[in-house]
Amino acid sequence: MSNSQAGLTPAMFHVLLALADGDKHGYAILKEVAAHTAGEVQLSTGTLYGLIKRLLEDGLIVEVTGRLSAGDDQRRRYYRLTPPGRAVAVDEARRLEKLLARARSKRLIQALRSA
Amino acid sequence: MPRPWFAGRAYRAVLRLLPVDFRSEFGDDMEQVFREQHDETWRDRGLPGLLRMWGATILDIVRMAPREHFSVLAHDIRYALRMMRKNPVYSLSAVLILGLAIGANTSIFSVVESVLLKPLPYADGNRLVILRQTAVKIGQDDIRFSAPEIADYRRRNRTLSELVEYHSMTFTLLSRDESHRVRTGVVSPAFFDMFGVKPLLGRAFRADDDTPGAPAVLLLSYEFWKSAERGDPAIVGKTYQMNDKVHTVVGVLPPIPQYPNENDIYMPSSACPFRARQTENREGRMMRVFGRLKPGVTLQQCHADLAAIAGRLEQDYPKAYPRTAGYGIASAGLRGELTARARPMLLLLMAAAAIVLLIACANVAKLILARMAQRERELVIRTAMGAGAARLLRQLLTESLILALLAAGVGMLCATGSLRLLTEFAGQLTPRAREIGIDFWVLLFAVFCAVATTVIFGSMSALYSRSRLAAGLKESGMQLAPPARRNWMRGALIAAQVAFSYVLLIGAGLMVRSFIQLRSVDPGFVPQRVLAVGFDLSWSKYGNDTEVASIIKRLLDKVQSQPGVGVAAIASSFPMDPDTFGMNDMGQSFRIEGAVLSGAEQPKVANLRTVTPGYFQTLGVPVVAGRLFRDSDNQTAPPVALVSRSLARKRWGAQDPIGRRVTFNDGKKWTTIVGVVGDVKEFGLAREAPEQLYMPLAQVGIVGSLLVRTAGDPATLPSQVRRAILAIDPQISITETKTLEEARSESIASPRTSADLFGLFAVLALIIAVAGIGSMLALSVRQRAREIGIRMALGATPGDIVRLVVRQGMLLVIIGLAVGLAGAVELTGSLKTLLFEVQPTDPATYTLVSAVLFGAALLAAYVPARRAARIDPQNALRSE
Repeated sequence: MSNSQAGLTPAMFHVLLALADGDKHGYAILKEVAAHTAGEVQLSTGTLYGLIKRLLEDGLIVEVTGRLSAGDDQRRRYYRLTPPGRAVAVDEARRLEKLLARARSKRLIQALRSA
Repeated sequence: MPRPWFAGRAYRAVLRLLPVDFRSEFGDDMEQVFREQHDETWRDRGLPGLLRMWGATILDIVRMAPREHFSVLAHDIRYALRMMRKNPVYSLSAVLILGLAIGANTSIFSVVESVLLKPLPYADGNRLVILRQTAVKIGQDDIRFSAPEIADYRRRNRTLSELVEYHSMTFTLLSRDESHRVRTGVVSPAFFDMFGVKPLLGRAFRADDDTPGAPAVLLLSYEFWKSAERGDPAIVGKTYQMNDKVHTVVGVLPPIPQYPNENDIYMPSSACPFRARQTENREGRMMRVFGRLKPGVTLQQCHADLAAIAGRLEQDYPKAYPRTAGYGIASAGLRGELTARARPMLLLLMAAAAIVLLIACANVAKLILARMAQRERELVIRTAMGAGAARLLRQLLTESLILALLAAGVGMLCATGSLRLLTEFAGQLTPRAREIGIDFWVLLFAVFCAVATTVIFGSMSALYSRSRLAAGLKESGMQLAPPARRNWMRGALIAAQVAFSYVLLIGAGLMVRSFIQLRSVDPGFVPQRVLAVGFDLSWSKYGNDTEVASIIKRLLDKVQSQPGVGVAAIASSFPMDPDTFGMNDMGQSFRIEGAVLSGAEQPKVANLRTVTPGYFQTLGVPVVAGRLFRDSDNQTAPPVALVSRSLARKRWGAQDPIGRRVTFNDGKKWTTIVGVVGDVKEFGLAREAPEQLYMPLAQVGIVGSLLVRTAGDPATLPSQVRRAILAIDPQISITETKTLEEARSESIASPRTSADLFGLFAVLALIIAVAGIGSMLALSVRQRAREIGIRMALGATPGDIVRLVVRQGMLLVIIGLAVGLAGAVELTGSLKTLLFEVQPTDPATYTLVSAVLFGAALLAAYVPARRAARIDPQNALRSE
């Protein structure tokens, strides 16, 4: 496990996931995280930008300039997953997958379902 | 729906909790996201949803704000430490310079706090007063009290709730197996109650302990109980033999500072055999008197009350209070009294230390300016981009704070290290010295000094730099304003440093010069190779003058037969004896035969000493006229006396005093003057030689010290002399042994320490100022490398360049010297009372100090100037 992954919180992972399929601005990330977790993870603006700041510092995401499509506000900033960021997100996903597989092999998930 | 602009503004307000960096980086985005979230929530979930969202948002920001602040701080600290490591010499010297300055301040403050600021360690100590009798017409302001006087003041006063007496004597305390020479405080029974001191064991004195015939009782001091009795918990009830009476211990005092002096044990006043002989003698003035003001009574009212009593006493007992003496009484708050002598010196030292700190502050300011200069380009860009202005200030303040805390640490080390020295120094000025210590307030003071100075000077220079940066950007893009203009603040700091150190150096120079003057004063005797051994004879064993004369003779014969001993003498005291320093009483009044006592005539008062014939030879006091004492001047011979030259001149003028007669008891007995001897500075080198009168010990049996002139080093002889004395009578108690050279040295210890401390501060100031000049010029040379390169390319010689740089530095030094000169002339007037035969405007001191400072500054300027002259024009121009 790499160092950056060691400090990767679930909330950070959510932000990385939200950026996996394309550059997004802050509000779009917020909405996507809420939608994909069925409202379970509700990021506030403070937490969101705290995460963005940390991910920027770690070089997992970058700010994209000059990407203005029609109707976009000039002041809006977009963020993009960097190759290291993508690698970290993939590693984390694999780790979770293995974890999940172990849980299945021990019939934990089934047990949970039946309970 | 709340208007969006309102929501935006409210959200902005909440965002202010976050670090400014964070806000300037993400604030706009966050606000926009929030507005969108806000609109959508209102649309989808109405007011309840909106309120919930507000709640969650505010809570979220409140929760994350500390973490963000901390991360900025951590970053700043890491950055600051990296910057300090990159410039270790500069950082280390800054910490050391500031640390030493803070150390100087903290050390002096620890004394000021304990001595001047803390309340007395007694119950309601501010109501305690000390009483003193005065005789203004003969220049006496601290006369002690006699037993009848104490009784009168106690009975007649209306303003004191309590009035107690105190004196201290040395007795021999005999227990079954050992004997102790003990300093004994002799006090009124109410003494400890009045000071609010509760005994640790047993009880304090009671009124019935002081009645005639009451069993003799003692209180032990904590220190004596611990050392002599090993803290025996069953000490109460133990008996000792003292002054031929059995004394019972009734209690032990707590470990508190003892005033007015430290004593081993205490006894009630009536138990003192010496006082008992004087109970009816109105002129047997040996006690100090303290009182406690009644509630609501002011010191002025008390004073008026006591003055009225003094007036009546003067009428009732005209003989005891001669009109010509100008008798009166004075009362003063005990707290002010205990610190009166220390106050001016301590405040002066505090001021000197503060000046050192100011000079060090100028260095910190320069350090920050220099750092700003190094990072100019980065800063210009950041400032131009509108970002990080406040951030920059914060970064600089963090750096200053780290510096400050390190310096405070160095300062505390200095203060702790100098504690013993300072306690010793303060001990010469005030009995409160033993309370001196490093406590919470001292620590707080050190941290406060460090933080206040660095933060104020740090932010001042940072703000100044910022405004310069903005201006610089406008003027010429990357190339900032010419150094001469940009550096005016740095220049002003240099000039100020020079001015301040000049003032301090003058102060120190005057003190040192005064001390040298003082040291070179002829004391009137030859202190080298003379040993003084203090001893006491038992009161009961040698009760009359004949018995004393006999033991004295045997003692002297024995001691003089010792190898290494030249001549020896015994006297009641010796010059500069620390034990007699404070004993400034009315002296001995006498009348000259044939003199008509008119109302306007001064009473005849002299300092009296009893001596054996060898005294003058032992001490090297010259005979001016007549003869010295002989062995035949004894009990059976007619009474004789010797007078000092100043007494002879003052009382007899041009006439020959030899053969004249004086009386000490109104003509009952007449004493003939047989000789005149040289003046001796009895009470220290700074004071006039007193009018001294000597009498033969064989006629007036008062002993005090054995004086021995040795062939070699007197320090090798004490144990031998001690053995010789004890061989004559093992019950003779030996108090203290010291050489007269030591006594002389101790008598000027206080001015010496003051001169040392001032000198230390001044040298510190000089080093800081000179280092400041050097580093400023070095920086300036770096910045002007290109200009210097051009000058050299255009034909300037290295000599021209050296002159250019030196002139730049020395111009500031000369400005600083001029300002400092004006300041010194203004300020050193306050030193006048501390100086001995040196004027505050002493031209020699001013000349020497100016030359030293100018020379040091010149040297400091020359080093960077040489470096400038070695600049290679091609390199300098290429590097730009």
